[in-house]
Amino acid sequence: MDFELQSYYPVFIYLAAVIAVVLATLVAAHLIGPRKETPVKTMPYESGMDPVGDARRRFDVKFYLIAIMFLVFDVELLFLYPWAVAAYRERAILPPELRSTIFCGILIFVALLVISYVYDWRKGVFRWR
Amino acid sequence: MHEFHWTHTLITVVVVLAVIMGACAYLILLERKTAAFIQDRLGPNRVGPHGLLQPIADGLKFLFKEEVIPRRADRLLFLMAPAVAMGTALFAFAVVPFGPTSVPPDPPPPDATMQQVRQYEIALAEYKASYQFVIAPGLDIGILFVFAIGSLSVYGVILGGWASNNKYSFIGGLRSSAQLISYEIPLGLSVLGVLLMAGSLNLERILDVQTRYGWFILYQPLAFLLFLVSAFAETNRLPFDLAEAEQELVGGFHTEYSGLKFGMFFLGEYTHMITTSFLLSILFLGGWHCPFLAEPAHTGMVGTIVKLMVLALKVFGFIMLYMIIRWTIPRFRFDQLMALAWKVLIPLALANFVCVVIVQEFGWSWVWLTLASIALFFGAGYFGTRSQTTPQPV
Repeated sequence: MDFELQSYYPVFIYLAAVIAVVLATLVAAHLIGPRKETPVKTMPYESGMDPVGDARRRFDVKFYLIAIMFLVFDVELLFLYPWAVAAYRERAILPPELRSTIFCGILIFVALLVISYVYDWRKGVFRWR
Repeated sequence: MHEFHWTHTLITVVVVLAVIMGACAYLILLERKTAAFIQDRLGPNRVGPHGLLQPIADGLKFLFKEEVIPRRADRLLFLMAPAVAMGTALFAFAVVPFGPTSVPPDPPPPDATMQQVRQYEIALAEYKASYQFVIAPGLDIGILFVFAIGSLSVYGVILGGWASNNKYSFIGGLRSSAQLISYEIPLGLSVLGVLLMAGSLNLERILDVQTRYGWFILYQPLAFLLFLVSAFAETNRLPFDLAEAEQELVGGFHTEYSGLKFGMFFLGEYTHMITTSFLLSILFLGGWHCPFLAEPAHTGMVGTIVKLMVLALKVFGFIMLYMIIRWTIPRFRFDQLMALAWKVLIPLALANFVCVVIVQEFGWSWVWLTLASIALFFGAGYFGTRSQTTPQPV
């Protein structure tokens, strides 16, 4: 299927409409709502206690590990999507003589991912305490 | 490609936006009514008959409430977060069919006879003249677009949590972003099987394949289940609402938000719920298709209305499922949440994906996929419960 910019025009129109709605909501909230700021009101909420220190402190390294694993899997998904669309459609677009090669390639690709996944599991990346 | 009309598109966009926002308002009422019913209460019943005007009253109250911006908050990001949450949720709907659609006919082979070419041209003209119930018809990136925009919603959460400069918001935002990115992977992996079978990312085409060969839930019940669970987590609904665990984190990432900005987060969450319900219906339950009742051949006024009703019923069913499950299953602990994503859903989704690849490669019947799904499900259940360990004291 050929790429035609015309089929994307509705998306741009919709994007403009969504941005307009969101901005209008923000502006309406800013204009209509009352505004009486007091020092206590603008304090960070900590269940009635005066906040101690800054909220942006160090946090668990586990979150970084999850983010890295997410990147690995997500990029892998991105590789698989185009292949998945093209692989077994009714009007074949992949050359038939390459079919088994591609099949083996994908299996190796998934196997590599599984190896890294098992390694991570054994290393305890997914263990939260 | 589908003909582009300014007026059609503009009317569709306005109607869709209005309906989504109205639906969100009334879904909140429905949710409160459902909750009341389950807990043997009456629920909102003061504003209007049976509380039917409650959403309007709520909206006005949102509008007239004071907007407090904490003193040490990052003002720009603080304002951006609700806008991102609401904007991405609404924008993801651009390619989702909300009513009957059709697909363009396949072009004739190069050695086609004059008659075949003539037939193709007639079918193409028919397709171009018909109204498609989707904002951007014939968009080939389809489901990928929904995922790309939908996953941007994590920015709303993390920006809100960071900008508030509040400890509850910060922890809630961190947890929630970890949850959202973790569950995106099973979500994407479970759809891969559908793509392999349908051979297109375009939601209208995926629907069309299902009208011919049967709904994908029949062939991939496991993928449907994985997608359902991940969709619950992606929309931050119970039992996955750790981001706003009231008892421990007050309100999570939106603790500091008040008035209409809080309302925007709310709207974003409900829109996300509607979008995922549509996706579940379209990817696995055949969308507007219903055997005997709404077949592709049924066109005209009556057929269109029946198809709209069928799709609306399916979507409504999923939304009710969301609401009932909220009052059925208690919230997970954070370690259980992560373990579910990484140790259960992802291996299952990978195994399911490999099964689909093998079945497709050797051209076996899709019925084998159903059996493989069931076998995987029970196998996982067997091994999962056999190696169950009690939590170690820390």
